[in-house]
Amino acid sequence: MLDGIIKKLFGNKKNSSATAKNRLKFALIYDKLEISDEILKNLQHDIVEVISRYFEIDKDALQLNINKSRDLSALTFNTPILSAKEKKRTS
Amino acid sequence: MEGKIFVITSGKGGVGKTTATSSIGAALAMAGKRVAVVDMDIGLRNLDVVMGLENRIVFNIVDVVQGKCKLSQAAIKDRRINNLFLIPASQSDNKDILKPEDMVSLGKRLKKEFDIVFMDCPAGIERGFENAVAAADEALVICTPEVSSVRDADRIIGLLYARSITPQLIVNRINPAMTAKGDMLSHEDVTDVLSIDLLGLVEADDNVIVASNLGKPLVMIDDSKAGQAFKRIAMRLDGHVDLPIQVPQNGSSLWRKIGNKLGFK
Ligand SMILES: Nc1ncnc2c1ncn2[C@@H]1O[C@H](COP(=O)(O)OP(=O)(O)OP(=O)(O)O)[C@@H](O)[C@H]1O
Ligand SMILES: [Mg+2]
Repeated sequence: MLDGIIKKLFGNKKNSSATAKNRLKFALIYDKLEISDEILKNLQHDIVEVISRYFEIDKDALQLNINKSRDLSALTFNTPILSAKEKKRTS
Repeated sequence: MEGKIFVITSGKGGVGKTTATSSIGAALAMAGKRVAVVDMDIGLRNLDVVMGLENRIVFNIVDVVQGKCKLSQAAIKDRRINNLFLIPASQSDNKDILKPEDMVSLGKRLKKEFDIVFMDCPAGIERGFENAVAAADEALVICTPEVSSVRDADRIIGLLYARSITPQLIVNRINPAMTAKGDMLSHEDVTDVLSIDLLGLVEADDNVIVASNLGKPLVMIDDSKAGQAFKRIAMRLDGHVDLPIQVPQNGSSLWRKIGNKLGFK
């Protein structure tokens, strides 16, 4: 208690619980950005299927990535297009 | 009326699941409920020793599921507290011996016999967790005010939500002196980060170790602060939702009171 007062009065360094809370908040955000390989594989499969309806693509050259930075994560999908498919879908 | 099954879980090991299971179970039995506590930590059983019932084990939960004995034969009756029963884990198997489906059907049988059932979940998020949560209607998540424990609690809370269970939180092993100094996460910090409902706060108390040395229910040690806290948690579970949550205090020193008045924490 006395410690606390002295710290308040003399503006001592930050308490460790504040650091703990901050680290925790970021850890939880970061944890939730993590995506399992299984999910990525399924996603890639589905994306390829949809794109293949419209384009001829090189399935081996495509890349699916998740780029993470401190507070956001982006999904990037790169694929060379070989050619567009004929329009024949009506339904 | 059908009983209710609570799973007591945490993700991280050693944060107080077994202590909470035995204490809350005992308190509710003392309040007149018919209670079963089930040790789901197959292969590493401990609830029996914490409760002082290790000498009376004949059958275990695996025997019940495999039909080798009746449920009533595996349920050990506590001789000090009426209406309190322990269903021990087996010590020689591993977690894969049970399947979640087994637990769902065992849960139905348990709910016919008991008012309240507590599943003492093992640490981790694998099969042992799956089994312990399979039959649960509700969940109590235990954590300590430490970064690793709160993070694991968050993971467990996510897994419980995925099963449409909204858990309640117990923060255990609070050191009020450290909290006052700002060197321990406060319960507000923890609930703020986890955003779930708080059920109770339990401070670090040497009586927990004394009670487990003796194999005596913590809630029967009158001057145990942790025991009192678990009793209040039991009362809140038993429908006394207006019972206020007491925040563990650092002694009752004059300095603290003056400090509180002046707005120091
Ligand atoms: N409030 C408390 N004060 C002091 N000691 C405590 C408190 N709660 C638990 N402990 C101690 O911490 C240790 C771990 O407790 P417990 O066995 O209940 O945890 P657990 O979550 O069941 O562990 P496991 O994950 O291994 O099953 C024990 O030695 C117990 O006595
Ligand atoms: Mg345990």
